[in-house]
Amino acid sequence: MHIQVDHLTKNFGSFTSVDNLSFSVSEGEVYGFLGQNGAGKSTTIRMLLSLIKPTSGSIKIFGKSITEDRENILQRTGAVVEKPDLYKYLSAFENMKLFSQYSGLFLSKMEIMRQLAVVGLESRAHDKVKVYSQGMKQRLGIAVAMVHNPDLIILDEPTNGLDPQGITDIRNLILMLSREKKKTVVVSSHLLSEVEQIADSMLIINRGKKIVEGKVSELLNPGKVQLEIETLDNSSAKEILMASFWSSSLVNTTKDCVLIDAERSMIPELSKYLVEQGVGLVGIKSVNSLEAYFLSLTSEHAV
Amino acid sequence: MQYSRIVNIEVYKIFRNPRTYIAFLVVAVVVGLIQLGFYTDGKTYLSFGLRSLSDTFDLKGKILNGYLMAFIILQVLLVNLPLLVSLVAGDMVSGEASIGTLRLILTKPVSRTVLLLGKFTAASVYTFVLLLWMALWSLGISMLIFGVDDMLILKSDMITQILSSDVMWRYVAAFGFAIIAMLTVAALGFFLSVFAENSLGPIMGSMSIIIVFTIMNTLDLPIFNRINPFLFTSHMLGWKGFFDIKVDANNEQIVGSIENLPAVLTSAGILILHIIALLWASVIVFKRKDILS
Repeated sequence: MHIQVDHLTKNFGSFTSVDNLSFSVSEGEVYGFLGQNGAGKSTTIRMLLSLIKPTSGSIKIFGKSITEDRENILQRTGAVVEKPDLYKYLSAFENMKLFSQYSGLFLSKMEIMRQLAVVGLESRAHDKVKVYSQGMKQRLGIAVAMVHNPDLIILDEPTNGLDPQGITDIRNLILMLSREKKKTVVVSSHLLSEVEQIADSMLIINRGKKIVEGKVSELLNPGKVQLEIETLDNSSAKEILMASFWSSSLVNTTKDCVLIDAERSMIPELSKYLVEQGVGLVGIKSVNSLEAYFLSLTSEHAV
Repeated sequence: MQYSRIVNIEVYKIFRNPRTYIAFLVVAVVVGLIQLGFYTDGKTYLSFGLRSLSDTFDLKGKILNGYLMAFIILQVLLVNLPLLVSLVAGDMVSGEASIGTLRLILTKPVSRTVLLLGKFTAASVYTFVLLLWMALWSLGISMLIFGVDDMLILKSDMITQILSSDVMWRYVAAFGFAIIAMLTVAALGFFLSVFAENSLGPIMGSMSIIIVFTIMNTLDLPIFNRINPFLFTSHMLGWKGFFDIKVDANNEQIVGSIENLPAVLTSAGILILHIIALLWASVIVFKRKDILS
């Protein structure tokens, strides 16, 4: 395991930001860290990087405790925490040089340019950072995080504030780091769709607590879905379903639809049954159950 | 090794930041204005100040010379210089916290203690260079414009004459003392900087403390008089002690002497103790600090 977190808790006064959180990240994988804004992702990441001290629990990275072996661990770790803030009065090249020196390296001009080329900034290397777009700053932030060639890269909301092209660039960059450079990458996000596209494993947290952890392919199993059944009379449809084989799958009824957990393959049978029972079926929409769960968290948060 | 690397980086950052040069510009402008004022009206101003002495003594030579000018300028500037020093020192940690670079630095394999000591050393380098700049303008340029002669210092109850050959070492010592005094201000700004998430607080905080302490020094009240010897502001003007000369039994001045060297050294010692205490406290706080910026 590259990261092993056990029973991690962080309190700020009486507020518990991270609550008894445990998870592990394997070598070479892209690990998605998913949660709404304020769920405790950034606090957890800051504790992984020793920016914040845990109230209790333990963090081991590369098999060593972050509290006891901070500098050795950070020698093999690169990170961008929230937005990548750099020295605006310096150029990308100068920022890279400066942060490589913080890591104890004195890189040649050629090496710095090569690293900037990885994030597509070699042609703007000598421009001051203050004239960079948000996407360019984000890419430079990742380059700065990787300047000492770390084995583990931690990116906190790397696509925040980016336009669609910028999001795609960062996504491709993360996949390249994982597949070509064989790096372990931890990426936090509040968007399931984003994590889904790049992560091998993922952890969902809410209010500092672990909701679910596992392989993305298993968690987002396309066979298991939640069905949103829209009818002309949802309460009648609910009664019909309650009296049928489907009663155990019934999740909820809203003003707009009836919700059922089911296998995707059972949609034709369900629609046939409803029609046979005289339900005015308007439509059935399938949503992945994990996505549905995550959306419910989001809507709950919005309220 | 790590320490010297951090010092190099921090010094580089200070002198690459355009804001750093505001202080150098301010010093040059203020000194230039004082020199211009004295160049045009200095003789009238001095003759007014010395008119009672002229009735008793025959004053010859260049009374308005570079040495006297430097003394006048130092009196004016060393009171205001703390603001310029705290502009940079107060920004060293909190400024990085406010722009977000502090958390990026601390994700690199750098010891927090070494980082803080490196930053303070860099702030000290800046303070030293700023004072050197001030010395160049106040003493060097004044000597070029006003020439050199014996130095007359007017005090409320006496007048001191220092031979021109006996002046320069006193200025070197005075600037050395001023560096210690300004490093105390830097250490204060630095200490406050560790707590803050933006640089305005530490800068305002440093200046407020200096103003409050100076008021306590000025008010001659028993309650404050008991505390005053321990306040760093009571010792910041100790540099003037280098311009007080001992006299022998015949009331002749002793060249190369200082009237009250122990008092000057005590002041320097108290300031150094303040620097060490503030720096130590900064390290303790910074090592435990959660980086939330």
